Amino acid sequence: MDHLTRLENKSIYIIRESYYQFKDIAMLWSIGKDSTTLLWLCRKAFFGHIPFPIIHIDTSYKFPEMYQFRNERVKEWDLNLLIARNEEKLKEGMGPNQGSKLDCCNELKTNALRLILKKYHLKAILLGIRRDEHGIRAKERYFSPRDTQFKWDYENQPAELWDQYQSMVEEEEHFRIHPLLHFTELDVWSYVQRERLPIVSLYSSKNGKRFRSIGCVPCCSPIDSNAQTIDEIVEEIRSSKTSERSGRAQDKENIYTMQKLRALGYM
Amino acid sequence: MKLSSNRDKKALIIGIDGVPYSLLNTYMENDIMPNLKKILSQGFALHQTNASVPDISSVSWTSFNTGVNPGEHGIYGFTDLKPDSYSLTFPNSKDIKAPTFWEILGKADQKTSTLFQKYHKKISHPYRSVIFNVPHTYPAWPMNGILVSGFVAIDLRKATFPESAYSYLQSINYLIDVEAEKAREDKVAFMKSLFECFEIRKKAISHFFAEESWDLFFACITETDRLHHFFFDASNDKENPYHESFLRFYVELDKFIKYLYEQFIERYSEKGFFMILSDHGFAPVKKEVYINRFLEEKGLLVLKNEGHFYERVDHKTKAFNLDPCRIYIHGKDSYPRGTVEKEEKASLLKEIKKILRTLKGENGDEVIDKIFEKEEIYHGPHTPMAPDLVCLPKDGYDLKGSLEKKEIFGYNIFKGMHTWHDAVCILSENIRFSKKPSVEILTDFILQYYSQ
Repeated sequence: MDHLTRLENKSIYIIRESYYQFKDIAMLWSIGKDSTTLLWLCRKAFFGHIPFPIIHIDTSYKFPEMYQFRNERVKEWDLNLLIARNEEKLKEGMGPNQGSKLDCCNELKTNALRLILKKYHLKAILLGIRRDEHGIRAKERYFSPRDTQFKWDYENQPAELWDQYQSMVEEEEHFRIHPLLHFTELDVWSYVQRERLPIVSLYSSKNGKRFRSIGCVPCCSPIDSNAQTIDEIVEEIRSSKTSERSGRAQDKENIYTMQKLRALGYM
Repeated sequence: MKLSSNRDKKALIIGIDGVPYSLLNTYMENDIMPNLKKILSQGFALHQTNASVPDISSVSWTSFNTGVNPGEHGIYGFTDLKPDSYSLTFPNSKDIKAPTFWEILGKADQKTSTLFQKYHKKISHPYRSVIFNVPHTYPAWPMNGILVSGFVAIDLRKATFPESAYSYLQSINYLIDVEAEKAREDKVAFMKSLFECFEIRKKAISHFFAEESWDLFFACITETDRLHHFFFDASNDKENPYHESFLRFYVELDKFIKYLYEQFIERYSEKGFFMILSDHGFAPVKKEVYINRFLEEKGLLVLKNEGHFYERVDHKTKAFNLDPCRIYIHGKDSYPRGTVEKEEKASLLKEIKKILRTLKGENGDEVIDKIFEKEEIYHGPHTPMAPDLVCLPKDGYDLKGSLEKKEIFGYNIFKGMHTWHDAVCILSENIRFSKKPSVEILTDFILQYYSQ
């Protein structure tokens, strides 16, 4: 079995297993390449029709290309799409220029998700997180429980054993499942290439720039690149050494640093 | 083949973040730390030391790591403002202007300092170090040896050099730090996670200690600082519900120190260099003191309603404070909206010092203990970026830089605060001090040992 097929099998196994363990499950789709790959794997796992809802957290600050891509796929793949928006905070004018970026992320992403999970009584979500993505995520496991405060409760983390998932859920907790954890950035692109997956056009170079990672407009910056086709992107990633999130990394790190400092009473 | 005597030199340095001299003394007397007491009886002495000014881990450890004062190494706190602006920045290892002692030992020569000048010719050949969990070493950078960064490290991959160290740490599910955010919600769970974090730290330290080749091994335990921030009131109070857990932590620490020390002595006998030190002390918090609010009430600080953090500083502002008590004059030549002329500065500093002295607690007791002008305490090429005034409080009053407070005094969940005057070090009893040592002079003894 070749490398990509092995990765695919592992992911599909986790996706199916998760669905049978938790009927109240959904998948989080950010429209980026990783979660679009996950979406594709979910379709494969259930032979084209995904039996659970797909959540898009809409901060209202996403790129227009992302909204367009989302709507096209929903139609083409017949997805049960749920849109998570923190309407109350959006009405109050929450955004990256009002309050801190940390507050913005917290309200428009974390809390928007919390609200929708509550509304639909969801117990588990599938996410397209990869282990190599960001060091802070390196400690994530395939199954990771979050408590009601959305804090990652690593004490209650079940042992990561390939054929033996601990899947009993405590009241009011939700499980995060990461079927893509074993993929690297290069694996994802190679898989996109092999499967001829549609991907948002922002990843392709325009005027010598392309996005290596996408999210909200104010918090993303493109990298210098001439890679226009998937083949060219795969080649670029293969030979590149800088971290994928370099465009967003510093901002993200500052947010985490601020959180760490605040927790100890600085700032 | 016998190697030259220099090549046999080995050093073990254990950092214990935020551990006060007075507490170690008490715990040795009370038999909480019998192993440390025994080590001391084998030719070592316990000293009370002064932390850096300000007594913040990033500044104090950097002072120790480089053996020079902030005027030379350029680190004054966890936060700074970018030059000629109000935007907050977080200095990291890239901003350290002086070489660390392990760079001097490794014969790296990209940076220079007074300590470098003194020793670089005396170090006969490059020594290999393992530097583990030392605060303010993030991101990790290439060196002769292994570096695993401590607080505030965010991304484990960037916190390790070389890559093989990352693979190992990832394989054991290493934790960079305990999640202090957790303490706000559930103190019992937080206490439990402190022990777990200490376990994984011990596991990783023991691994590198035993499996890697090194000439110098320097590892920091940082759980002590977190324990103190949230539970220091439990340190000596038998009634406190966390008292037993607090003591148990020190019992564990004592055992781990014994383990490392014995391994070290077993391998390198008495010839090695052994040292334990902390970066600052701790005292119970009575109240937090919001210096910016005080400056506002005295009309020295005016904040606008729009903008983040220091972007709110209005043109009418004369001075503002950054954590914990670093006061900057809002000079015309230093800030976009600054209005204070050069000629006004001296009299303004005098006025602020006078006003700060009037700051009194509930019982009329003094809040501010010491006030330094930058030229009094800092020297070196990076003194110009230093705060104009730095204050140290009386124990119990925790000075803060928050811009959001509406009162001068307040409470938070923290039970402990840093102290400048009660840090600790343990060194060979042959080393004597003519006056109370400060953290940055201790580094010299390490380099002395390697250059003999």
